[in-house]
Amino acid sequence: MVLTTLIFAIFCIITLLIYFVVPKKIQWIILFVSSFIFLFYNNLTIGTICQAVTILLTTYFSSILIEKSNHKKRYLLLGIGIILGLLIYLKYTNLFLVSFNHILGMLHSSFRFSFVKRNSLIGVSYYSLIMISYLIDIYRGAIKPQKNIFKLGLFMSYFPILTSGPFIRYKDIESDLYGRHKFNYERMRSGLIRILWGLFKILVISERLGYFIDTVWGNLEVYSGAFSIIAILFFPLQLYTNFSGSIDIIMGISEIIGINLPENFNTPFFSKTVTELWRRWHITLGAWLKDYIFYPLQKSDFMQKIGKICKNKFGKKIGKKIPLYLSMLLMWILIGAWHGGLYTFIIGSGILQFIFIFLEDTLQPISKKINKKLGIKEDVFSYKLYQIVRTYLLFSFAMIFFRAGSVSNAISMITNVFKFKFSVLSDGVIYMAGLDRSNFKVLIISLFILFVVQLLKRSGSVREKLFNQNIVFRWAIIYILIFSIIIFGCYGPGYDSTTFIYRQF
Amino acid sequence: MKKDEIYERLNKVFRDIFDDDSIVVTESTTSNDIEDWDSLEHINLIVAIEQEFNMKFNMNEVTTMKNVGEMVDIIISRI
Repeated sequence: MVLTTLIFAIFCIITLLIYFVVPKKIQWIILFVSSFIFLFYNNLTIGTICQAVTILLTTYFSSILIEKSNHKKRYLLLGIGIILGLLIYLKYTNLFLVSFNHILGMLHSSFRFSFVKRNSLIGVSYYSLIMISYLIDIYRGAIKPQKNIFKLGLFMSYFPILTSGPFIRYKDIESDLYGRHKFNYERMRSGLIRILWGLFKILVISERLGYFIDTVWGNLEVYSGAFSIIAILFFPLQLYTNFSGSIDIIMGISEIIGINLPENFNTPFFSKTVTELWRRWHITLGAWLKDYIFYPLQKSDFMQKIGKICKNKFGKKIGKKIPLYLSMLLMWILIGAWHGGLYTFIIGSGILQFIFIFLEDTLQPISKKINKKLGIKEDVFSYKLYQIVRTYLLFSFAMIFFRAGSVSNAISMITNVFKFKFSVLSDGVIYMAGLDRSNFKVLIISLFILFVVQLLKRSGSVREKLFNQNIVFRWAIIYILIFSIIIFGCYGPGYDSTTFIYRQF
Repeated sequence: MKKDEIYERLNKVFRDIFDDDSIVVTESTTSNDIEDWDSLEHINLIVAIEQEFNMKFNMNEVTTMKNVGEMVDIIISRI
């Protein structure tokens, strides 16, 4: 069930109606039932039931054993091992098969493994990690295990977050998830506006950008030069509007119910460095990796030993950095791999990001010195703008690999950039790649609206600002939003609402 | 060990980690008050404090400590 479809809207309305009508003490059961319908919608097979039940039972029994047993670590590792094993089996089998085939090729063997198609449940990348962090939190003594297996099932499969996150933590969501909620008009109004804004981002902007980007990427031998440059620069915007738009819908629904979820984006494209961008992009994934992988790794005896050796060899400053960079490299490879079982994800959303962050960190003192010598001011608008543009360009470059599907496609795209002809921009040919002149106009205007909203967001909640306005203006904005989604939303024949970019993760 | 003494030794660790001799931490000091105290430097700080006081923080404390005051309370409970 896709977030922008009518069936999802109907599903949510029915869920909410029942949720607020039934006695409050059984409200969580309604969410549990809805979540399981959502989880198995269109995908009810013995295999998918086994997947869900395995993860739920593993987490349930591990959590109780971790709390009660004297061998806490053993049960923690067992639980994580089973969940992770299943995740790797479902998502990364083909990545390993590609590697084996490469090795066989190098050994001049004609044998090749054929690829397999796994029927995994929606959201498996999300709830696997959510359940792992739940077990670790119990091991660390931060939370008590949930003794009601159905309540744990709801935590695992709370339906809004199954498609695109955000990552939730048990201690943050427990009271809201199982709590009793009265219907609240203000919350509904606020949630609905957020849902509308999410729909606008996805249907008006992201899908429209997709027409152009998919046309260029789908015909690399036909489109080059300006087409390639525009497609490359458009892609981060497509990804952002698609992903953050989904998050807006998810947060909006949760807000109406009365469940607070953590924010996942904070105007990432205003970032002045790639490091900053990743603090503002998919925030809950970053926080998850920091708390459950990066910190334990950095604090481990192994890394401390490396740190000591490096400090003795290279001095305090550099010695301190080496274990840090090692942990960061590992973490970025994991971020890349989490995005999918393709090497291009590991390059685009992993290794390249690490290289940028590494260079930013190591070159920063040098660039500061150069700027000082040349008298370049760093705290002025023009310099900040240069930093923001540079960050966006670096991110766009890395995302070529993320989008490419194969390294050879990514290289074709990059070489295509250099076949640049200025005439394309003036003779109207640019309107031949999936987006005609009027669609381009709609796109530019909607991107401008997005920019203004993002700018307003930097000084506080945009919805609060809207609610503070007079009734005429307020409703005018809401109507404009609704009608622009209806009129300019991309529902045409080329529109396939099942192609959510982040859904596959 | 008295609180004052703990703060004195903490100041020494903070100054060493962040290379800034002007740092003076108080109960309410947070990562927002010290420019270089980000998530990357946090763990170096934690390890240095563990070595200074010969104690260990558990991972839950590492990720949830809100200010230096909470840090000091944990140190007092362990030494």
